[in-house]
Amino acid sequence: MTAAIEVQGLVKVFGRCRALDGVDLTVPAGSVFGFLGPNGSGKTTTLRILSGLARPSAGRARVFGRDVVGATNEVRADIGYLPDVPGYYGWMTAPEFLRFAGRLFGLSGRVLESRVEALLDLAGLRGVTSRVGGFSRGMKQRLGVAQALINAPRLLMLDEPTSALDPIGRKEVLDMIATVGGRATVFFSTHILADVERVCDTVAVLGAGRVLVQAPIGELKRRYHDGNLLLEVTDGADVLAARLAHEPWVTGLQRRGERTLVLTVTEMDVARRAVPAAVAEQGCGLVRLEAGEVSLEDVFVDLVGGGR
Amino acid sequence: MRGLRAFLAKELLEIVRTWRIWVLPGIVLFLALGGPPLAMLTPRLLESFAGSQPGVVIEFPDPTYRDAYAQWVKNLTQIVVFAIVIMFGGLVNGEVRAGTAALVLTKPLARPAFVLAKFAAALALLVGSVALGAALTWGLTLAVFGQAPVGELARATALWLALGTLLLALMTLLSVLLRSQAAAAGVGLAVYFLLVILTVWEPAVRHTPAGLLAAPAQLAAGGAPPLAWPLATGALVSAAAVLAAMAAFRHQEL
Repeated sequence: MTAAIEVQGLVKVFGRCRALDGVDLTVPAGSVFGFLGPNGSGKTTTLRILSGLARPSAGRARVFGRDVVGATNEVRADIGYLPDVPGYYGWMTAPEFLRFAGRLFGLSGRVLESRVEALLDLAGLRGVTSRVGGFSRGMKQRLGVAQALINAPRLLMLDEPTSALDPIGRKEVLDMIATVGGRATVFFSTHILADVERVCDTVAVLGAGRVLVQAPIGELKRRYHDGNLLLEVTDGADVLAARLAHEPWVTGLQRRGERTLVLTVTEMDVARRAVPAAVAEQGCGLVRLEAGEVSLEDVFVDLVGGGR
Repeated sequence: MRGLRAFLAKELLEIVRTWRIWVLPGIVLFLALGGPPLAMLTPRLLESFAGSQPGVVIEFPDPTYRDAYAQWVKNLTQIVVFAIVIMFGGLVNGEVRAGTAALVLTKPLARPAFVLAKFAAALALLVGSVALGAALTWGLTLAVFGQAPVGELARATALWLALGTLLLALMTLLSVLLRSQAAAAGVGLAVYFLLVILTVWEPAVRHTPAGLLAAPAQLAAGGAPPLAWPLATGALVSAAAVLAAMAAFRHQEL
């Protein structure tokens, strides 16, 4: 299957600033893909190139196999895009804006009207008669997602769709994204990791203009962050600590009180088998052995934290 | 050009729904309302002012419809020109700054169509406003002077519209090249004053768009200014400016 997005060696230079420094990225078709990175890492620049608003200084970017440079109408017809700060014609109402957006895609008549009605429902804007200029930020973002869906795109690209929204606004927009997820490839940038964990299946982490890693979320957690094991024994914690400290998969060891150890391990599966064996070998009684949950935030901080 | 029709419809609707419908037509209609009465009263006012000075007697010929027509065209050249420069300095860059351009240009709307639609809608507003103003001038002139030949007013107004179109085309180009409305308006004013300066040089008046500045007033006053070259070069520069704006916007990053 053709990837929804393929980016190879993408470079973007603004004067002396190298905003993108060789981005390589593949977004599988049908995925809900989170594009993570701290502020200024190049997320918006990448999205602007993919949507045809900016041109790369070097490298290639393709959407469903077509080169986006020059953003042909064929490429645009497959894309729905919401910029980070969408600008609206404040004098229009939501249905008017959706109709206008649909006409730009060549839609008309019943097809256009039925899509407008469906998207007003999806965005929770049916019956809202006020002009867009008077909308709240949340309403504008929901309208933004709706207008990006007017052409039933194969690829929905959203740039920071939930930033600056309150929790309710965030939930509403994430619900919309989750709804779309089954029908189109969703590629959205954010630095809100909880949002990514909630709706995405795959992520790429961008740092200093490069993709640091790309993987399914679960794999990323396993691969890029050491796990924690909480170990409580009846006695002999000192001896056990000395024994485990020499294991190659143990990267950290802390004492918590008389009988408890916190191990930081690189290979959780190996540790889960080896630790009880070591406890038995030392003749200690095992009280508790718990694996700590690794969050995407832990992974993110590990990957980009040091570079900031 | 894909999307031209839909975007032009949006532009025209935007004119009707926003402040734009009031500003340019308002200025033009205000000038049209005041022109004929002012043409009638100006000689009398000047005579009475001069008569208040001891030993000074000035006599003006009786005003005619041609004075009203000349006043109308003079108002267009001296006031409406500035409204065009200031208003349309933000024609394209206004949408870029507001972020609306980025939203619509990720859809299948050709960038040249975006520029052309904005120019066409602005031109429609200009032509419509000036046509309304001309009609009002004609009616008031007929009422005040009892005589108002349509042909002379129509020719002078149409000739001024050639100048207005030229300035609008230049402002379209400047609003693409410069990201600030104020900067575009400033450069637009500089271009206009350059044209004004050129009018003191006879060959420029005969053979360049600078001839469009004085010609409408001369035509309204019953004169026969040279028109062929100013019109031809004016049309050429207007078309070149719009085409250059379309080409420049095609390659611009948003």
